[in-house]
Amino acid sequence: MWDGVLQGIFNGLASGWIYVLVALGLALVFSILGILQFAHGEIYMLGAYVVYYACVVGHIPFLLALLISALVMGVGGIILERVMFRRIRGEMEPAILAAIGLTLLFQTVAVIAFGGYTKFIPSVFPGVVKLGGVRLSKDRLFAVIMGLVLTSALFLVIKKTKVGKAMLAVSHDPEAAALQGINVNRISSLSMGIGSALAAIAGGLMGSILQLAPHMGTFAITKGIAVIILGGIGSISGAVLGGLILGLVDGLIPLYSSGTMAAIVGFCVIILVLLVRPKGLLGHD
Amino acid sequence: MKLGRTKGWLLFALCVILAPIVFRNNSYLLIVLILCGINVIMTSSLRAMATVGQMCMGSMAFSGIGAYTSALLTLKAGFPFWAAFPLAGLVAMAVAAIIAFPFVRVTGVYFAMLTLFLGEVVRLIIVEWNSLTGGVTGLTGIPPMGAISLLGVHVDFTSLLPYCYFVFFVMMVTLIVLYRIDRSFLGTTLAAIEKDEDVSASVGINVIKYKALLFCIGCFFFGLAGSLLAHYMRILNADSFSLFGSIYILIYMVAGGRKKFSGPIVGAVVLTLIPEMFRVMKQYQPLVFVAVLFFVLYFLRAGLADLPDKIRHLIKKTHPGKAANA
Repeated sequence: MWDGVLQGIFNGLASGWIYVLVALGLALVFSILGILQFAHGEIYMLGAYVVYYACVVGHIPFLLALLISALVMGVGGIILERVMFRRIRGEMEPAILAAIGLTLLFQTVAVIAFGGYTKFIPSVFPGVVKLGGVRLSKDRLFAVIMGLVLTSALFLVIKKTKVGKAMLAVSHDPEAAALQGINVNRISSLSMGIGSALAAIAGGLMGSILQLAPHMGTFAITKGIAVIILGGIGSISGAVLGGLILGLVDGLIPLYSSGTMAAIVGFCVIILVLLVRPKGLLGHD
Repeated sequence: MKLGRTKGWLLFALCVILAPIVFRNNSYLLIVLILCGINVIMTSSLRAMATVGQMCMGSMAFSGIGAYTSALLTLKAGFPFWAAFPLAGLVAMAVAAIIAFPFVRVTGVYFAMLTLFLGEVVRLIIVEWNSLTGGVTGLTGIPPMGAISLLGVHVDFTSLLPYCYFVFFVMMVTLIVLYRIDRSFLGTTLAAIEKDEDVSASVGINVIKYKALLFCIGCFFFGLAGSLLAHYMRILNADSFSLFGSIYILIYMVAGGRKKFSGPIVGAVVLTLIPEMFRVMKQYQPLVFVAVLFFVLYFLRAGLADLPDKIRHLIKKTHPGKAANA
C-alpha cells in the first residue's frame, strides 16, 4: 500500500515541478507587467510542439530541442510584449481580454497546423530507476531535475544579479524603478521572454511525460493561475510551494478516487483560498 | 440616422417578430436565429453582472446547471417542459444565491479567477457525477418542448419556427427585465457602485447586497438559457458548458460594448451571424472572433454598439459647424 502512495508522491512531484515552471513564468509577468497573461498556457502548448517537431521530426536531441524551444518562445514572448502588451501594461481588463484573444488565436492555429489528434514524444530516457518499492520513470525524474535546476537558476538571477534586482524593483514600483534609472520597458520584455521560455520548457517536459494536444494550453493556464493563487501572488517560493502541493494533490488523489476528483479538490481549495485568504500561502503584494 | 430610444426598440421588436416568418422555410437560418436569441440572453445577463464591475468567467456553469436541471427533470422525472423550464432558472439562481455573498466580496481580477475556477469545478462535477449526469457521454434523447393547444390553436414547439418564437419571447422578456433594472433606481445605484465602490458604501449603499442580487439575477437568466439550449440540442454533455463557452460570451459582450444596453445585443448578434456566414471554413471560425475582438480592443474600446456614435463624432470633427444629425 505504501508503495502506491510513494509512487503517487513521486508522480505528483514530477507534475508539480512542471506546474511550478508554468507558474513561475506567469507570476513573473504578473508581478512585473501587472497583467494576467492568459495566453501563457498557449505559449506552453506552442513550446511543446516546437520540441515535438524538433525532436520527432527533426531528430534533434531532446535537451537541445528544449533549448531551441525556450529560445524560440522566449523571443516570441518578447515580441508579444512589444506588440501587444506594452500598450496595455498595468490595465488588467484589456490585457486579459487581449490575452484571451491570443489564446483563441493560438489554439485555432494549432488545430489547423498540427491537427487535433494527440501526439507523443517518445520516451527520452526510457526505463525506470527502482528505489525501494517505487518505480521512478527516468523521464519524470528528468522533469523534476529540470524543475529544480531552472527554479534555482531563476532564484539566483533575481537575488544576485543586477538585472534580477532591477526586476524586483519594477515589480514593487515601476515608477520608482524608472526614477532609479531602470529601463522598465526592457525589464518587461525580459520578463516576458524568461516567462515564456520557462513555459516552453514545461510544455516540452509535459509532452515527453504525457502527450501533446492543441488544447493542452487550457489545462496549463488554469493550473498556472491556481498555483500562483495558492502560493501567493508575487512570491517565487510561493509558486514553488503551490505548484508542488497541487502536483501532489494530482498525484495522490487519483489513487483513491479519480483524476477528475483530484482536479475538483484542487480547484475547490483554490476557491477557498480566494475567498478566505486571497494573499495565498506566501504572498505579499 | 439618429435613432431615438423608443424607435430603436420598435425597430428591434419588428426584426424579432418578422425575421422568423421571413425565413420560415430556411431551417438553417432558423437555427442561427435560435442560437442568436440564446446568445443575446446570455450576453445581456453577463453585461448585467458586469455593470457592477464583475467580470464573470464561469457563466456557462450556470447555463450548465440550468440545462442539466431541465433535461433531467423532463427526461428522468417526467416533468413537463413548462415546469422544468422555470425550475432550471430557479435552480441556477439558487446555486448562485448560496455562493453569492462570499463570492461578491472578491473584486477585480480575483473575481474573474474565482468564477473561472467555479466554472471548471461545475464542469468537472458534471463529468464525475456519472450516475446523475451521464458524465462525459452525457444525456441523450432529451424531450423536446412538446405541443400546446390554446383556444383551439395547436402549436407544436418541436418544429423550428415555433421554437424560434419561443426563444425570442424569452429573449424579449429577459431584455425587458434587465432594461427596467438598468433604467430604474436600482440601475442608478449599480452605476454608482461601478463608478466608485467606497463612495457608494459611504453614502449607505449596501454594495455587497446589490452585487449579490445582480449576480443571482444574471445566473437565473443563464439557467433559462441553458434550458433552452438543452431542449434545442436534445443532447448534453459536460463539454457543452466549458470554459471556452464562457469566454465566447465574454467576447460577445466586449465586442458589442459594455456601457450601452444594446451593446451585448449587437455583440451577440454580430458574432453569432458572422461565423455562420463563413460556415465552410469551420476550423477558421474562431479567427473571426479574434479579429473582431482585437479590432474592438485596440480601435473601438467602447464596443461595436458605439460605432454610430464614433462615426458621428468623426463627422463632427471633420465638418465643424455642420448639423450633427444626418
